Amino acid sequence: MKNLRWAFLALYGLLSTLPLLWLAITSVKSRVDSIATTAKFIPAVDGVDIEAGSVRFAATLEGFRALGEAYAGASHPYYHYLLNTFLVGSFSTVAAVLLGTLCAYGFSRFRIPGERDWLFFILSTRFLPPLAVVIPILMMYRGLGLTNTHLGLVILYTAFNLSLAVWLMKGFIDDIPAAYEEAALVDGYTRWQAFLRVVLPRAFPGMAVTAVFCLISAWNEYGFAMTLNNRDAVTVPVYFAGLQGNVQGMPWSQVGAGVLLFVTPVVVFTVLSRKHLLRGVTFGTIKQ
Amino acid sequence: MAERDGGAELGDHWLKVGFVAPALLLLLCVNIFPLFYSFWLSFTDADLIGSDGVHWVGTRNYGFLFVDPRFAEALRTTALFVAGAVSAQLLLGYGLALCLRDRFRGKAALLTLLLLPMMMPPAVMGVFWKLILDGSYGVLNHGLAVIGFGQPQWTTDPGLKLLCLLIVDVWMWTPFMFLISSASLNAIPGYIYEAAAIDRASRWRVFRRITLPMSAPLVGLALLLRSTDALKQFDLVMAVTGPNDGATQTVSALLYQVMFRDGKVGMASAYSYVVLVVVIALASVFLRYLNSLRRPVAGAAS
Repeated sequence: MKNLRWAFLALYGLLSTLPLLWLAITSVKSRVDSIATTAKFIPAVDGVDIEAGSVRFAATLEGFRALGEAYAGASHPYYHYLLNTFLVGSFSTVAAVLLGTLCAYGFSRFRIPGERDWLFFILSTRFLPPLAVVIPILMMYRGLGLTNTHLGLVILYTAFNLSLAVWLMKGFIDDIPAAYEEAALVDGYTRWQAFLRVVLPRAFPGMAVTAVFCLISAWNEYGFAMTLNNRDAVTVPVYFAGLQGNVQGMPWSQVGAGVLLFVTPVVVFTVLSRKHLLRGVTFGTIKQ
Repeated sequence: MAERDGGAELGDHWLKVGFVAPALLLLLCVNIFPLFYSFWLSFTDADLIGSDGVHWVGTRNYGFLFVDPRFAEALRTTALFVAGAVSAQLLLGYGLALCLRDRFRGKAALLTLLLLPMMMPPAVMGVFWKLILDGSYGVLNHGLAVIGFGQPQWTTDPGLKLLCLLIVDVWMWTPFMFLISSASLNAIPGYIYEAAAIDRASRWRVFRRITLPMSAPLVGLALLLRSTDALKQFDLVMAVTGPNDGATQTVSALLYQVMFRDGKVGMASAYSYVVLVVVIALASVFLRYLNSLRRPVAGAAS
């Protein structure tokens, strides 16, 4: 039984990490090696002779260097798209966390008629498939001149992350005893001052966690970014996915290198907030 | 507290509106208004270019649903995908959680490693998986050759394309199932197992009577979350096979095809309305479940 368990774990662990390992290996391959008909998985440094059909390959930083140049058919280098992703991701995250915190505070501390229904309405917006709502949004954005703009994506991502932000922040704010604000109100603070000076500092760790989850979903988003932007605010997922069918073929080593850079912040943030991971992926339903 | 039991201060009403309203307004503008707008569009012949105006066509678009073989096929493909992906993720994720109940050194690092796939961007990883699955230079087939297996043409054989999507989705989201399954197992209090040990209950019996039922509510939550997500599957389809491949055309891919390739906005709106009804029905099941779960679970897991 114990052996069976370890065999299962080892097999799953291997199969699950292999694609990521392959991604890392591919990022230091040359173009030819990345699509060689023998699997090349042992990197060798410069100056080593490699015979044809060997599993060794000469490691190169070509892929990383190529990120700075525009690839055939693309109008900009990778970093341009990374900047777009960064701008759209960070602005929408800040907006979603701020609006979400205000809204969560309202639901947490005031009596609001139909509170449960409102909260469930907010959550239900998360279930809409992007492709089902993108049609009217595209038509609406055309009228407003918001297609192909960063602002257009920021508004959309803010709205789609609000459900997560409200639900997570409500959990965090519910955990802050109301007695603190009551004391501040007695001391002559207004409600707004009490919120700013008493609640906000205590809610800050929760806001940081919420921001991580909002950022990840905006960072990796593809459906909206692809359908609403084919020119000026193209994000990294759209850029890489769009390289398919390129006249020069897929630049696999560039994809490997680009994805490595792209996921690093996400991985770092997730590891930093791993205590709250469960809370994040279940809309705050499970508190660890 | 005072405010909760009836506005103590003057202007409290407006303050409360001020806190809640901005978020709700944004949701109304970006989520609810478009739904009404597309309801109207679904009765028109609007097209993507907007060349000769928009005309009312009544229920014609909805009529197409019944004659368009792609729609029924897309529903079937989506159902197959959701069922296949979610059940495989459940079995693997729950199995992993069972295997990793004990504490040991390096567990935190191992967990992080196992969770990595779900942090990857699906659209890009879908593209990268094509390199792995490629029939002639993919590393999977290299591996299969070593253990003396055939060389399936994963990405081009129509019978295997859906399997490709399933492989990638299972790889990506099993960690999610594992994460929640682990939490559900951890929430079972140890004294119950001690009591079972005193009763000399067999391992299978302990699993059947204690572990399984006590972890079921949270696992159910994970199942619902994954199902609603899998139902929306679009990124992987686009990356692995493109939107117009009969073998893998999910409803989202079909919507994309009708809207952006065929340019039929009215028709796409009608199709999306039918999809929305299905999604909303499922979401309400989910919300009800969440409602019934919320209090006891919050107590048990915190």
